[in-house]
Amino acid sequence: MANRTDPAAKSIHGTNPQNLVEKILRSKIYQNTYWKEQCFGLTAETLVDKAMELDHLGGTYGGSRKPTPFMCLILKMLQIQPDKEIVVEFIKNDEYKYVRVLGAFYMRLTGSVTDVYRYLEPLYNDYRKLRLKLSEGKFCLTHVDEVIDELLTKDYSCDIALPRVQKRWTLEACGLLEPRRSALEDDFEEEEEKEEEEQAMDSVEDDTHEKASIPFIFLCYNYYRGRSPIRERDRDRRRDRQYRDRDYERDYGRGRERDRDRDRDRDRERDRDKDRDRDRDRERDRHRLRDDRDYGRERERERDREGRERERRDRERGRRRSRSRSRSRDRRDRDHEDGDHRKRRTRGSVSPRRRPEDDGSTRDEPKKKKEKKEKKSDGTDHPDPEIAEANRLRASLGLKPLK
Amino acid sequence: MIEVVLNDRLGKKVRVKCNDDDTIGDLKKLVAAQTGTRADKIRIQKWYNVYKDHITLKDYEIHDGMGLELYYS
Repeated sequence: MANRTDPAAKSIHGTNPQNLVEKILRSKIYQNTYWKEQCFGLTAETLVDKAMELDHLGGTYGGSRKPTPFMCLILKMLQIQPDKEIVVEFIKNDEYKYVRVLGAFYMRLTGSVTDVYRYLEPLYNDYRKLRLKLSEGKFCLTHVDEVIDELLTKDYSCDIALPRVQKRWTLEACGLLEPRRSALEDDFEEEEEKEEEEQAMDSVEDDTHEKASIPFIFLCYNYYRGRSPIRERDRDRRRDRQYRDRDYERDYGRGRERDRDRDRDRDRERDRDKDRDRDRDRERDRHRLRDDRDYGRERERERDREGRERERRDRERGRRRSRSRSRSRDRRDRDHEDGDHRKRRTRGSVSPRRRPEDDGSTRDEPKKKKEKKEKKSDGTDHPDPEIAEANRLRASLGLKPLK
Repeated sequence: MIEVVLNDRLGKKVRVKCNDDDTIGDLKKLVAAQTGTRADKIRIQKWYNVYKDHITLKDYEIHDGMGLELYYS
């Protein structure tokens, strides 16, 4: 009797609202003591009192998969089906964060897609900490905005399968939603202005054939990722070893900083990096004149052609490198290799024509060796196709290959 | 490499190839990949002995061709 859905309740997503929680889990909740004692005869008002007493989130835990009080209250809400205004009140209330998350979860389960985005996105600005009960029974720390992100992006949370929502850009294309306004947008605009100023300064100092007009978004993206932009890689090729040492130290440091950073500190780091970048740019230009004098020995035409080829290769390499997820140590090794190469060149010992091929072959070999090694350890090239496929599946799950 | 058979007596019978030093948790992931249920919803038993996630198949003395019971939680 107590477990039947309110007869006046509407059907959600084409089914009895309680069926949003799957059968086994529902039976577990019905047998739970918290449900039997506290959730008997709850109404919308008394539910609020119970919700205020909540102190942790979670799905099921333990060997016998015991449900948390949070789940019991969600099922109760699905059973009595409070009005939308009440749910919105839950979400809007500022004082009790667990009530807020309860309302948000219910809205995610039952609301229409536009409602979901409209009411859940403002909660991205709530940074408060929450206690999450893991399936082992231990507690871990999470935040309100992390939970909301999980609700909006994943399709499974707290052991309940969330109904599908369309992606945001589909709804924007249909005109049902406006494009997302982030709370950090003002900060980004400031950064944008600073970048534009610096771009203006750089373009005055730049050489003609260097890429001065890199799209701002790309620069921003690379700074965000903590990777050096392509433009820097081009300039690397012209620098002396001494300056390269300093450069890779900075890159290495930046990699570390990236790991340590939280999103909020990103702006500060970016400012510092930019200042350093600006100083380095000026010094580098001073030394480019000296390099040019060294090259005076070679013929002008050769140099230009070579430069253009190198440009292209470096750009590709830079792009490849910026795409790969190699750690900063790999980058340093590669820098070293190139440094030796360059030193040889400035001494004028190797003929210009041979160098493009030489460079290509040395790059291919280490690449081939790395691929071979990967294949062997993966076991996906096993002669037996069944085993190869099993190994592929295992690799995707993160397991070692079959013996 | 051993092959284990899991049967849930409701129509799902899967044969899974695995190493004997894989844990039960790994085996659950492989079964989930084959059956389509979620790995954390699967329970592997042998007649009231619920197998724990962190113990290897070798320690449970699960040999090649052995049958296990598949339940859901």
